[in-house]
Amino acid sequence: MGRSGIQNSCNGDRLPIIHPSPRMHGYHYGNKRLVGLQNVEQTSDRGFKANLLDIMYLKKHYPDHIVMASIMGFSNREWYDLAKAVTGAGADMIELNFSCPHMTVEGSGAKVGQVQELVQKFTETVRKASDLPLVAKMTPNITDINEPALYAKMGGANGISAINTVRGISEIGLDDFVPKPNVFGKGAISGYSGPAVKPIGLRFIAEMALNKELGLPLSGIGGIETWIDALEYLLAGATTIQVTTGIIHYGYRIVEDMIEGLSDFMMSKGIEKVADLVGRALPHLVETDEFDLKRQGITNYDLDRCVGCGQCYIVCNDSAGQALEWDSEKRRPKLIEDKCLSCMVCSFVCPVDGLITYREMPSTWKRRETETLGRELQSRLKL
Amino acid sequence: MNYAEKFKEMNDKGFTWGQASAEANRCLLCYDPPCSKGCPAQTDPGTFIRKLRLQNVTGAVRTIKENNILGGSCGILCPTPLLCELECSATEIDRPIQIGKIQRFLVQHSWETGFKVFEKPKADKGRVAVVGSGPAGLSCAAELAKDGYSVTIFEARPKPGGVLAYGVPAYRLPEDFFAIDLKDITDLGVEIKCNAPVDKKGGAEDLLKEGYGAVFLAPGLWEPIRLRENSENIEGVFTATEFLAAMREGKYEEFGAGIAGGNIAVIGGGSVAIDSAETAKRLGAKDVYLVYRRSFKQMPSEEGERVEALKEGIHFLLLNQPVDFVAENGKLKGLKVVRTKLGEKDYSGRRRPVEIPGSEWVIDADVVIEAIGSKAVENSTDWYPSVKTNAKKYIEIDKETGATSVNLLMVFLRAAILYEDRLWLWKPCRMVKSLRVP
Ligand SMILES: Cc1cc2nc3c(=O)[nH]c(=O)nc-3n(C[C@H](O)[C@H](O)[C@H](O)COP(=O)(O)OP(=O)(O)OC[C@H]3O[C@@H](n4cnc5c(N)ncnc54)[C@H](O)[C@@H]3O)c2cc1C
Ligand SMILES: Cc1cc2nc3c(=O)[nH]c(=O)nc-3n(C[C@H](O)[C@H](O)[C@H](O)COP(=O)(O)O)c2cc1C
Ligand code: SF4
Ligand code: SF4
Ligand code: SF4
Repeated sequence: MGRSGIQNSCNGDRLPIIHPSPRMHGYHYGNKRLVGLQNVEQTSDRGFKANLLDIMYLKKHYPDHIVMASIMGFSNREWYDLAKAVTGAGADMIELNFSCPHMTVEGSGAKVGQVQELVQKFTETVRKASDLPLVAKMTPNITDINEPALYAKMGGANGISAINTVRGISEIGLDDFVPKPNVFGKGAISGYSGPAVKPIGLRFIAEMALNKELGLPLSGIGGIETWIDALEYLLAGATTIQVTTGIIHYGYRIVEDMIEGLSDFMMSKGIEKVADLVGRALPHLVETDEFDLKRQGITNYDLDRCVGCGQCYIVCNDSAGQALEWDSEKRRPKLIEDKCLSCMVCSFVCPVDGLITYREMPSTWKRRETETLGRELQSRLKL
Repeated sequence: MNYAEKFKEMNDKGFTWGQASAEANRCLLCYDPPCSKGCPAQTDPGTFIRKLRLQNVTGAVRTIKENNILGGSCGILCPTPLLCELECSATEIDRPIQIGKIQRFLVQHSWETGFKVFEKPKADKGRVAVVGSGPAGLSCAAELAKDGYSVTIFEARPKPGGVLAYGVPAYRLPEDFFAIDLKDITDLGVEIKCNAPVDKKGGAEDLLKEGYGAVFLAPGLWEPIRLRENSENIEGVFTATEFLAAMREGKYEEFGAGIAGGNIAVIGGGSVAIDSAETAKRLGAKDVYLVYRRSFKQMPSEEGERVEALKEGIHFLLLNQPVDFVAENGKLKGLKVVRTKLGEKDYSGRRRPVEIPGSEWVIDADVVIEAIGSKAVENSTDWYPSVKTNAKKYIEIDKETGATSVNLLMVFLRAAILYEDRLWLWKPCRMVKSLRVP
């Protein structure tokens, strides 16, 4: 387990890159800061030479660590030149950014990622320029990620990384109606990242991991902050993980916690290598029609720990099975077992961890049929 | 630095937006919220916190202001740990939601953003007079104005607010804060006449003849109860009423001179005693003794403010009953006290202090401040001679309507001179709920 470096995708100097200002917007939820981050950054705005020097510097001072250079070209020729240059500078791997969702130039970023032939063509070009392992970075702004991934493989990619940012609008200004970040009166649909996108990232990694035809190592990205997030990506099939927004939010110190947390977890489970975790969730991942519907259950309330807030009652009454009664004297819910839908909504709002749990019922148990509001209407209409 | 500024600096600024929303995020959004049941003024914290949580900030302010026009001041002054916060479900998770602070924040926030809950109502229902501009008079006037009456408040003192202007120390209730709370009331069209005492013989009843359709009495309790008679002649003995009022009138230097560097004894265990002791400490007293005849637990003040006072270095002299002043040539030398022990329970359910014979001793004191309660002003019955009163000079009323024995002369329920204990601000704020103009 270890860390390696990767940088903002670099490009050649022919097209000067100027970032919009301000270039990011933080999406906060309640008092939780930065559950999502929206950015309108273009690729690296630093001179190509500076990027190359950085790669050389890193390899000189940290020769044992892997440096992966991320590149994005605007033409076949440029992809070639970039690959050549970063290889010469000493990079250990190259990541091909086919996925930046808000590049303004046709034939770059996600605009490439959405045209399979270009993915293949540019990968082939880079392949010709360099012998280094190539990782193609995929966009999530697509229905089936396996298509471009397979084209990348045909082009010679050795691995796939995903996801890049999700195209989104995180917030809109209430006084000026300008979507954020507000770049002098204008906003743009652009890259959304951070914890809010983790479920999307996990999904794409798992879909590629399950694809036998693809069979490439995967680098998982999207909303990773803790060792648990990282672990989930491994379990879904990633062999390495990458972090961007997590670093933006907390700094590099979170890497220490990921390593320590994951190591301790592996120790406690007697797992020796990270590789032994890769894809371990996949055998359990099925289509919803494969569930065993005969097995049913309900909630279990450990009322000794109840603080009497009544949120379970509200949600069950307004959005679930109306399976709870409320004792207003004692301020306690009472479950009518045969009405419980096992939607578990009550357990999501209950402020006491683990108070409301799931329990399976015996196969003889039956749920009561849901009532309708207009009983009388029903009989009149002879439904 | 002068005292006025010093006191101002001590003002708690209240929650910021971030603190208020973080606190609202801790709220469990209870069904049938216990906090709302615990709010005697019926301000309905369960609803306004939910509204804040769901970003309906204007709605949250509306809930507060519609339920309690003095919601801002209540947010600062209410003994919340004994009321709404005592009932809070989050206590069992870790600690109660800081409801008072959220309430204060919301009201303050509405001022800062210029959101006004009420439009000026049409006054087409006739004229009503209110005597006294304390919380009782103000709430009453606001309620009547919203209902369509043109209301005039007659206030004896130069500034409106009653205890809020002449009692509660300015470091607890910032003056500019209360001024805005007050403006919300005058913006409803309520007229406040200051320096306008209604204290001539039959004065309150005369208002009815002067064209007011009804008169509400809310003059408060301003006659201090004293340890013994004639103590006002001793130099160095003050009542909390005059001491705290002098502070609010800005007479810091005048009182500060006698207090800075001195030994001060404050008699009493309620909030007013704590306010007096803390004020004396802030004026630079060397040692401040809070002399109370029962034990810590039985003090009627809020526990939090007692602990604060202890932390500020005020000495609690418990189980000591003040009996007399020691004076030389008319100048105070000390306070004579006798030690007590707790006996059987009394009418209040608290154990009664019993004096220990022969245990008298004298606390050296340059100043004694008496904070042992107040009552209806001596001649108050003259202001409304036809009204039936009881032995304690409290007006007899219909408990349902607040009507006195004189038609159209009202005291709304136990507010104003009626209360036997006017310990907390929420009382008058609640009274208005049952307000009716006959
Ligand atoms: C020092 C102190 C601190 C307190 N702190 C708190 C606290 O922290 N929290 C809390 O909840 N409660 C507190 N209280 C209690 C609270 O302030 C009272 O319950 C409340 O002020 C009572 O309101 P009121 O309108 O009945 O009377 P008051 O506030 O006394 O107002 C009566 C008004 O009537 C005027 N008046 C009297 N006679 C006449 C007349 N004849 N003509 C015209 N006007 C007249 C007076 O000048 C006065 O302005 C405190 C009280 C004191 C004294
Ligand atoms: C400010 C910002 C700039 C980014 N720039 C690049 C880039 O230059 N090249 C690239 O491949 N991905 C870029 N990304 C995408 C991230 O590398 C990553 O794929 C995505 O944000 C999801 O992961 P996360 O939730 O850990 O941030 C950028 C993301 C952010 C937030
Ligand atoms: S699981 Fe759903 S239906 Fe059952 S008690 Fe909870 S909210 Fe109600
Ligand atoms: S949500 Fe949980 S704590 Fe609240 S009443 Fe229901 S069971 Fe009790
Ligand atoms: S009782 Fe406490 S947790 Fe429940 S609604 Fe009121 S403030 Fe929120």
